[in-house]
Amino acid sequence: MGYQIPRQKADRLFARLKQNYTIYAPKLFAGDGCFSDTDIIRYGKITDLDEIEWNRRSDYSFKEALLAINEVLFYFTEGETTVPPCPEKKLLIFLRSCDLHAVKRLDTIYLKNGAEDFYYSRLREKARFVLMGCWETCDTGFCASMDTNRSEQYDLYLKLSGSSLWADCKSEELQPYFAEAEGTVCDVQPDSVTENKEKVTLPRKLSVESFQNPIWESYGSRCIGCGRCNFVCPTCTCFTMQDILYRDNANVGERRRVWASCQVDGYTDIAGGNSFRKKQSERLRFRVMHKIYDFEKRFGFPMCVGCGRCDAICPEYISYTNIINQLAKEET
Amino acid sequence: MGLDINTKKAKKNAYRISKARGIGASRIRVPGGYLKAEILGMVQEIAEKYGNGIVHLTTRQGFEIEGIRLEDMDAINEMLQPIIELLDINQQEPGSGYPASGTRNITACIGNNVCPFANYNTSELAKRIEKAVFPNDLHFKIALTGCSNDCGKVRLHDFGIIGMTMPQYDPSRCVSCQACIKGCKSLSVNALRMENYKIIRDEEKCIGCGVCVTKCPTRALTRSKKKYYKLTLMGRAGKKNPRLGEDFLIWTDEDTIVKIILNTYRFVKAYIDPSAPGGKEHIGYIIDRVGFTEYKKWALDGVELLPETKIKDCVYWNGIHFDR
Amino acid sequence: MKNEYIPFPSQVREIIRHTDIEYTFRMSFSGSVKPGQFFEVSIPKYGEAPISVSGIGAGTVDLTIRRVGKVTAQIFERYEGSVLPMRGPYGNGFDIENYKGKELVVIAGGTGLSPVKGVVDYFCEHPEEAVSTTLIAGFKSPQDILFRQDFERWESALQVIKTVDSAPEGYRGLTGMVTKYIPDLPIVDVSNTDFITVGPPAMIRFTIMEILKRGVPEQNIWISHERKMCCGLGKCGHCKMNDTYVCLDGPVFNYAESKHLID
Repeated sequence: MGYQIPRQKADRLFARLKQNYTIYAPKLFAGDGCFSDTDIIRYGKITDLDEIEWNRRSDYSFKEALLAINEVLFYFTEGETTVPPCPEKKLLIFLRSCDLHAVKRLDTIYLKNGAEDFYYSRLREKARFVLMGCWETCDTGFCASMDTNRSEQYDLYLKLSGSSLWADCKSEELQPYFAEAEGTVCDVQPDSVTENKEKVTLPRKLSVESFQNPIWESYGSRCIGCGRCNFVCPTCTCFTMQDILYRDNANVGERRRVWASCQVDGYTDIAGGNSFRKKQSERLRFRVMHKIYDFEKRFGFPMCVGCGRCDAICPEYISYTNIINQLAKEET
Repeated sequence: MGLDINTKKAKKNAYRISKARGIGASRIRVPGGYLKAEILGMVQEIAEKYGNGIVHLTTRQGFEIEGIRLEDMDAINEMLQPIIELLDINQQEPGSGYPASGTRNITACIGNNVCPFANYNTSELAKRIEKAVFPNDLHFKIALTGCSNDCGKVRLHDFGIIGMTMPQYDPSRCVSCQACIKGCKSLSVNALRMENYKIIRDEEKCIGCGVCVTKCPTRALTRSKKKYYKLTLMGRAGKKNPRLGEDFLIWTDEDTIVKIILNTYRFVKAYIDPSAPGGKEHIGYIIDRVGFTEYKKWALDGVELLPETKIKDCVYWNGIHFDR
Repeated sequence: MKNEYIPFPSQVREIIRHTDIEYTFRMSFSGSVKPGQFFEVSIPKYGEAPISVSGIGAGTVDLTIRRVGKVTAQIFERYEGSVLPMRGPYGNGFDIENYKGKELVVIAGGTGLSPVKGVVDYFCEHPEEAVSTTLIAGFKSPQDILFRQDFERWESALQVIKTVDSAPEGYRGLTGMVTKYIPDLPIVDVSNTDFITVGPPAMIRFTIMEILKRGVPEQNIWISHERKMCCGLGKCGHCKMNDTYVCLDGPVFNYAESKHLID
């Protein structure tokens, strides 16, 4: 149901939501960018509507709200393991349409590929999604090409405009907050873009032959293997296990999982010294083919949601969209 | 009528007396080497109207308009006025050109307006220092550089200002990729290591260059909100004893630097050799003569250092001695 | 919901020392398990490693561990009378039924023998269930030979070629790479012959080339892949090749179906 809620009442509504939900949203972290006097937009817990960065796409995706960069799986004490408790509060996660489509990709790996993941699952059950509209396209995104520019799968749509908060609440659980908010009932449709500056055509005739394409070498020779493309990607889900021994007490420690990147050294190293993708070009091919070919072959839909973050973050200006378009062009 | 020029006054007014009789050059100071492009057009106009059409880009990031006739100085000063105003150079009497030339133009590398390695806005700080110290007849050379690469070669100056950042580490964002460790090892001083999959920074070794921050792919390493500087002292070229400036303060701030420079002017006034040729004695030689301990007393007068600032008890210079 | 990441404690029942750096740990385990499957074995506070099942007994599984990494080094230090946390078994493993009534040739290099040892043991005990069973096992040097007692048993029931890459002068056994012995293998009917090959990637590659030269159909060749695996559950991503997760869909693959897999 749609509502227009005056700002003051919206703040009270937000305060009520805050009591029962931990709220994650894109936030501007001033000065935290890569370079001096540059900022970064990434996810953080928020306590106020004004903390949300409404206008620009976040540099890092929402995924850290569901998959912590470092997540403790359990603590070891002498002969015993203790699983950290799940946060009690439910989660409200603000995200844009491309990212909402990415949730389906995370679910696919963590809930459907093999056994369900205990940690993802328990957090996912508590997660509610708040769609943020896009009234104009971002620079590098190509959601329209990937058919991810619209989503109906939201619990709540919110827009802060002028002196009002506009809402479309689909979730029964959240409905009472809006019923109490004394707003005006009206029709609210999420803002969405229908066209991007960046247009991408997915190659449809890829095969194992494509692994030999010289394009991988030409782009791979430029890649420095920093992994930024993976870390900003809303659909990358890889992790590595780490066992930690506490320095002050050798009998106590923890096992955790930490985000991993298929571009960074060590990703395919096995004990004894073997490594399966040594060259950066092989790693780049692995990533791109996973996003546009392998995943789809296994699960029936492309992995990439077209958010364009990888293109925007690459310090070597390697354009993933350009690679895809070149592969598509070769097919014609 | 013979050419009657007060060369002392002309030199103070930022003119050079050239080797050709009656011909000089007009020097334009550009603090931080940072200027609006329209000034280039003004320089061109002067060079074409009063000079020989040639402009030298000086070693200190200024302009030197060659081939001007010394009797045109007043007319040139009129034409310099908009440049002086655009660059916001301190001046008592409009239209009179530059009021002093002893304290040289303050130079700076391009800084964080452009450079990804720079840790601060070098031209802004250069302008702040210029406003604090100019005009002054004492021969001071001050230079700023954005990071420890020292592209500004500030260690060849009386005061060298090197930008630093204190890396801020959030272990919860760290993925143990070691990009920072590799970057620090190959590009800087190898001050990082990994223990228990997390980064340990050797605080004694770290030079605050910021390489680790630029390498971090997850924003686990970020810059300190506070901007830090290293202040190096008394580097110089010259005939007697060319030498690199030595570290005096590490992890200091802008206010401290400005105070120390102003204190140094007071020190020089008190100790300069009145019989020095042309009344010019270089600060470095004065400190050599008076002793660093005495200089330090003057330099730190009324200065409150940040708790994190590391200060050198004593500073020793080496360099090449041609005078022994 | 079950938390798949939590290991269960398993008693170290017996230790069989093969070489200075390779031991077999006989662990208590009573669930169902197939040769070629693997367990994630951990030493708390040091880490986990995927270890394939090298033998299956009543209430036990054998895990042959080579001291190659941080985790296995710790296991070697701390095995005595202790309990090792493990989780698994994971992966598909070898299906014995595939090889019954066939001429079976198992070609293994080094610790690659572990995942196929269960298959060899089965046909050693039931030689009549295969037309013939041949084992070609290659090791770096005589000191590196694994499963010495088992070889005595196998040599009495099967055709066994035990070779070392290089040996000191006076060594009386066979020498040379495993591939050297493929061209002369007595094969009656190539279409009824199955090959299993496990070992380092380069060994697998050259072995398959030799096998194909014998005219053996691709679908008669089986391999087991070793890849980095942090979870064994299809989540961590490290073992993925093309659209295949080695931990879920493998580690045992039919060559005809997996030859297109590229790291």
